[in-house]
Amino acid sequence: MSNLPDIEERIRPLLASEPYKLNVDEHQSALLALLKDELAYACGRSASICNYVERWPIDYRTSSRIADLPFLPVGVFKSDPPLALVDRSEITRTLASSSTTGQVPSRVVLDAGTAKRMTKGVMTIIRDFIGPTRRPYLVVDTAATLAGSGELGARGAAIQGLRSFATELVCCLNSNPAGDLQLEVERLLEYATKWKDAEVLVYGFTYVIWNHLVKALKDHGVVLNLPNARILHSGGWKRLQQQAVTKEVFASGVADTFGCSPNRVIDFYGMVENVGVVYPDCEQGNKHVPAFANVIIRNELTLEPVALGQRGLVQVCSVLPTSFPGFLLLTEDIAELIHHDGCPCGRRGTAFRFVSRAPKAEVRGCGNIETFRVRSSANIA
Amino acid sequence: MSDLIQAVISPEEIARAAMRLREVALDKDLSPRSVLELFERWAAALSGNGTEVIPGAPFLRLWLRRGTLEPILERELGQAVLNGGWREEGQAKLRAFPLGVVGHWPAGNIEIQPVLSLSCSLLGGNACLVRVPSDLVEATHLLMERLRAVDPTGMLLERIKLVTFDHSREDLQMAMARNVDGAMIWGGDEAVSRVRALPFPHWTRLAVFGPRLSFAAMDAETWNKPSERFSWCQRIARDVWQFDQQACSSPQVLFLERGGCGDVSPFMDELRQAFRAENQAHPRREIHPSLTSAICLARASWLLDNVANKAWFSQSPDWTILLGEGTNIPKPTQGRTLTVLLVDDLFQVISKFDGAVQTLGLAIGSAEKEEALAHAAARRGVDRIVKLGRMHVFASPWDGMDLIRPMVRVVRHVPSQDNAGSARDRRERIVSDIKRGENDPESCKSA
Repeated sequence: MSNLPDIEERIRPLLASEPYKLNVDEHQSALLALLKDELAYACGRSASICNYVERWPIDYRTSSRIADLPFLPVGVFKSDPPLALVDRSEITRTLASSSTTGQVPSRVVLDAGTAKRMTKGVMTIIRDFIGPTRRPYLVVDTAATLAGSGELGARGAAIQGLRSFATELVCCLNSNPAGDLQLEVERLLEYATKWKDAEVLVYGFTYVIWNHLVKALKDHGVVLNLPNARILHSGGWKRLQQQAVTKEVFASGVADTFGCSPNRVIDFYGMVENVGVVYPDCEQGNKHVPAFANVIIRNELTLEPVALGQRGLVQVCSVLPTSFPGFLLLTEDIAELIHHDGCPCGRRGTAFRFVSRAPKAEVRGCGNIETFRVRSSANIA
Repeated sequence: MSDLIQAVISPEEIARAAMRLREVALDKDLSPRSVLELFERWAAALSGNGTEVIPGAPFLRLWLRRGTLEPILERELGQAVLNGGWREEGQAKLRAFPLGVVGHWPAGNIEIQPVLSLSCSLLGGNACLVRVPSDLVEATHLLMERLRAVDPTGMLLERIKLVTFDHSREDLQMAMARNVDGAMIWGGDEAVSRVRALPFPHWTRLAVFGPRLSFAAMDAETWNKPSERFSWCQRIARDVWQFDQQACSSPQVLFLERGGCGDVSPFMDELRQAFRAENQAHPRREIHPSLTSAICLARASWLLDNVANKAWFSQSPDWTILLGEGTNIPKPTQGRTLTVLLVDDLFQVISKFDGAVQTLGLAIGSAEKEEALAHAAARRGVDRIVKLGRMHVFASPWDGMDLIRPMVRVVRHVPSQDNAGSARDRRERIVSDIKRGENDPESCKSA
């Protein structure tokens, strides 16, 4: 029977080691046993998780590969109350996803141990990309995004995740009474003047950086002259695709605005349900899997892992969370498998590229019924 | 694109096509008998030739047979329809005439629906302008190629124009609507509402087959009978598999009435076997990623929401059986995901139905009970009550509506001359004259 201290003890070395040094086989064997024990632990903590895991077509106890372990679709985290493996009294924070208007956000609960590992996980990964030094941290968002101690949104969680690299934090947006984001130009220019030759860390959601900083400054022909800035961004491309802004256009536009090279603009993929794990682009444009996590790209027809060069639904795996069942999660994103090993950037293990959110089915036809005629589905149910 | 299905890009192309179709429809009579003859040949030509891989093709072969369509024609338009000409009704004569050009907006999930839809309006002598959804172009092309092979003179083909364009091209949708005299509209809520809102001329007749849901139900006498159980399970699997459970007639939930029989395990074992066998016989060739996600979510949510719930599923998204109890109807997942609910009383379930429910597939031991259930379901808005295994058998009426009659005009002719009246009138006059003559020899002479 798995117990939490034992699991925590086994996570520790994975978090402490260099994140991208294991080859695929070493990586798989390091994770498989731990994930099985985490599943057993989750079953012991939650009857509903146990009901799901025990109904899985393959007995996880005898599985010889991570791909056979029971995964949860991320949609289950839209439930209320959120799925938890800890008592309510142990929950220190709830993270909520950024959801599009009218949609229910996903929510995951953190206890102290998971929160600590989350911070450590993000630090370990980001350090590999930007180095360990602390530096001035410019947040392209409002201070209000970080406020509140109970529930934190995806933007707030991402901002907080990078705080360990900050000497000081400055937010350069505010919101007007109507709730629209506005750039605090004077504050930003002051900041740029103060830190013009320094290594600066910049973070914002992709569409926030583009819509509220790049476009605003471009309109006024302003360049910030921060050649040593590292600009990290995440949060999806959907809103920018509508404006025909590609990844390359974005990187070059941001670089022009900051007066730095486009290769200092780093896109990373992540989601609140996959706490402590982010996937920054390497200089080859690939995303890599750290030692304490895994990514399986599954063919949508068979749900089997795809071959190199093929696309499919992304499953993220992480040994970090113990406060909620977030070990093995099938996302609604599509990615392409690039390498099992051997990316020229030198990072070992699986490499992939994010493609898009899985497009919604266009028309499901005459059987696609959402509401009953006389009464709502809620009433009939 | 092909010469059979044209990718249109401008409203003018649609208007021109509609004009040509209207000329044909107005200038040339098309008798139901000749349509039936050609359909019969088309049905025969649908064996092999690559059409067998099209979901629903075996059914289409049956649908196009004279034995299927002749009774439907006679029921909807009267027995005289096959002979052409006018039928008499009192002082008047009646005859069905085509509306002219019928526009077809089939649903995007049923491969054979463009052909099913146009076949209904061709039987009424109409010309057809069909928007083929992008996912159905290949299947429709294959089916229409078989028609071309049996219709060398183009008797039917000259009345059919198949077009394809992106559903978001409002200008092309509007052009189609403006140029049709009738419309057969099929599909989901959003699609149907959008088409209905198009600027049809005030005379255009609309036949709307909107989104519906279907369920299956069995009483304990049936599901608990070992000798029949597996064949019922096979029928259920067949109904679930066809059209990937995305048709309005696809069962989403199977209600099992307990009826004092506690153990459902043997039935569930056999249902699982039937699902596996059906999956082996009809493996899925492709799936939309969002459906895979929805299936995975349905499995997980079912088991997480209630620890008493059970589920069986393949490792792939191929098939899923969710078992629970109660009359709460879950939101359909489709994609071969059948929810089985144990209930105390089927009448209780039916009392919760409304007009959203199209088909109720039944397997009931007692004929009296089945009749009562059918009556209750019909009162609650259900339009089709059929045997399990036959839930997709397309027949008229569908959704409670005739399929051919809505796209014809039944013209009434009351002759201006009394002596040009009906044969019956003439017979009556002769009889009356004769009788008068018997009583009045003079009159008889003059006659």
